[in-house]
Amino acid sequence: MSSATVSYNFPFSHIYVEKKVLGHPRTKAILSRFSKSRVIKIDHYKDVFNRPRQSFRLQKDSPSLILAGNTGASVFHGSPVCQDFGYENFYYTSSCRNCIFDCEYCFLRGMYGSADVVVFVNLEDAFSEVEDLLSKHPVYLCVSFDTDLIALENLTGYVSAWAEFTKGHPDLTIEIRTKSFRKDIFQKIPSCDRVIFAYTISPKEVIGRFEKRTATLAERLSAASCAMEKGFPVRLCFDPVIYLPDWKKAYTELIEEVKGSIDLSRIKDVSIGTFRISSEYMKKLRKDLPGSSLCQFPFENHNGVMEYPDNLRNDMECTLVTLLQSSISQEKIFLATF
Amino acid sequence: MFYIVCALAAEARPLISALSLRKDDHACPYDTYFSEDSTCVLVLSGMGNVAASSAASYLLTRFGFRPDRDFLLNFGSCAGSIPGLYLIHKITDEVTGRVFYPDMLYDLSSCGLPLSSEKALVTVPKVISSLPDPDLLYEMEASGIFQAASRFCPPHRMIFLKYVSDSGEEDPKNITSALLTERAMEQLPHVLSVLEYLGKEECPEELIDEDLYISTCLGLRLSETMRHELRQLFFYAKASGQDIESILSGLASEEKIPARSKKEGKEVINVIRDRLL
Repeated sequence: MSSATVSYNFPFSHIYVEKKVLGHPRTKAILSRFSKSRVIKIDHYKDVFNRPRQSFRLQKDSPSLILAGNTGASVFHGSPVCQDFGYENFYYTSSCRNCIFDCEYCFLRGMYGSADVVVFVNLEDAFSEVEDLLSKHPVYLCVSFDTDLIALENLTGYVSAWAEFTKGHPDLTIEIRTKSFRKDIFQKIPSCDRVIFAYTISPKEVIGRFEKRTATLAERLSAASCAMEKGFPVRLCFDPVIYLPDWKKAYTELIEEVKGSIDLSRIKDVSIGTFRISSEYMKKLRKDLPGSSLCQFPFENHNGVMEYPDNLRNDMECTLVTLLQSSISQEKIFLATF
Repeated sequence: MFYIVCALAAEARPLISALSLRKDDHACPYDTYFSEDSTCVLVLSGMGNVAASSAASYLLTRFGFRPDRDFLLNFGSCAGSIPGLYLIHKITDEVTGRVFYPDMLYDLSSCGLPLSSEKALVTVPKVISSLPDPDLLYEMEASGIFQAASRFCPPHRMIFLKYVSDSGEEDPKNITSALLTERAMEQLPHVLSVLEYLGKEECPEELIDEDLYISTCLGLRLSETMRHELRQLFFYAKASGQDIESILSGLASEEKIPARSKKEGKEVINVIRDRLL
């Protein structure tokens, strides 16, 4: 929430750059796009990113950009609260942290103390890690896990880079999850049936109230259609399903709109999952967003995971499955279970 | 409210005068000045990092700094190659090598402090006789203030404003109180503008009616855990635009409040939840 009387600096008005990556070609390319920003040299990205008592909410209005080199691991086993879609070796990678969108329910609000966007410029090191894993077994990798990589494509080019890398590694399948409207990307990268574009699909009311700066529903569906036309597998993620007082009506209308916009028979699969988040993260969300009806909902704590009450959760999931199964075969519907 | 730390009276004098601050006559470990409307408190720390960090801790704890609405301002002189007032985005402690970064969220360009007025600063343990790096500013307090204040204060609510009083190569004897005051006076309009500008920030509203919440807890004989549960329902009611007071009034007229036991209180919480969802 911006104050009406005090204004914040423009996004990326301040760019913090680790000294060790100052000479990196990606750093130079990114910095060349921001002639009006202040560039501040730093020793380590955590000196800025991990400052105590930062305001995630205010930083969302004026995020800084941090360019760094990832010196630790950048590929991790998938979280149990995330869906693996039947893939055995499920990993995610973190070449960027945070995104330019502002979703009230985002787990990153709980995971990180800062809304500043970190770009690790040494993407090739992540590629090496993935190649090590590929030497042991096939890999299913979420590359847009704690960011929205498509939304950052102009800045990083990482969607193109991951797509190229995947094309050259037959045992690798990647998922690129997004709420972006961009279609131009599908012209730029080679089509590949192992590059899955996963669109988070939410009712208009949820997008308007809780997913600030993201693409509209129509834009997302249009982009998803475009991806399919260009030969990419597309996943629709009804995840998180968000409670609204008239949620049943909102989600019924949503599915109708999806059916009217997309040929569901060509969809790779769909995921359905009601909103859930670790109780530790939820504490931070509630503190950061005291006026959010989404975050302040009286969730139940199930073994450290905050969820809607069982009856509501089951009702929401069953409703979504029922609405979808007339158009999509059962084996293509994945429910979040953990 | 603004919590201001200045090292020396000579640096603070124009600000004290312009804001009509009055000295606190009670025994204080540091010279402390207040505005009549309680929107501003200023402390003179004395020179050096330890003195400044102690004074900052004293100021923030003694006068109840509120991290969601108050600001800490460090205003003072420094050595630098180009005269002017600078907003500090990076503070390096020369002794420890530690580096600190205020969060540069606020656009202060309307106060005469555009992005180009930002600089990095080095906190040194003693007066320097030359500028090791002409792009940097040098002074003796900021890193101590930042370290002490970061226990209480979010990094975007720490504002470090430094004016160049000398080039760092002059004889220290020439850097007189009069000079420090004169240079501070030159930058006073910008500093006042920053205070006026940041003072316009809207305060976060109180989200729940604490009196109503406490009286409801007592009326329902709630345990500590149940109180947390009820508190969350108060928050949800407010955030979702529902009138918790009318729900409670309804329950009172149904004679469910007050409850006769903890068990009854728990049942009432469930009813409140059902009515909210």
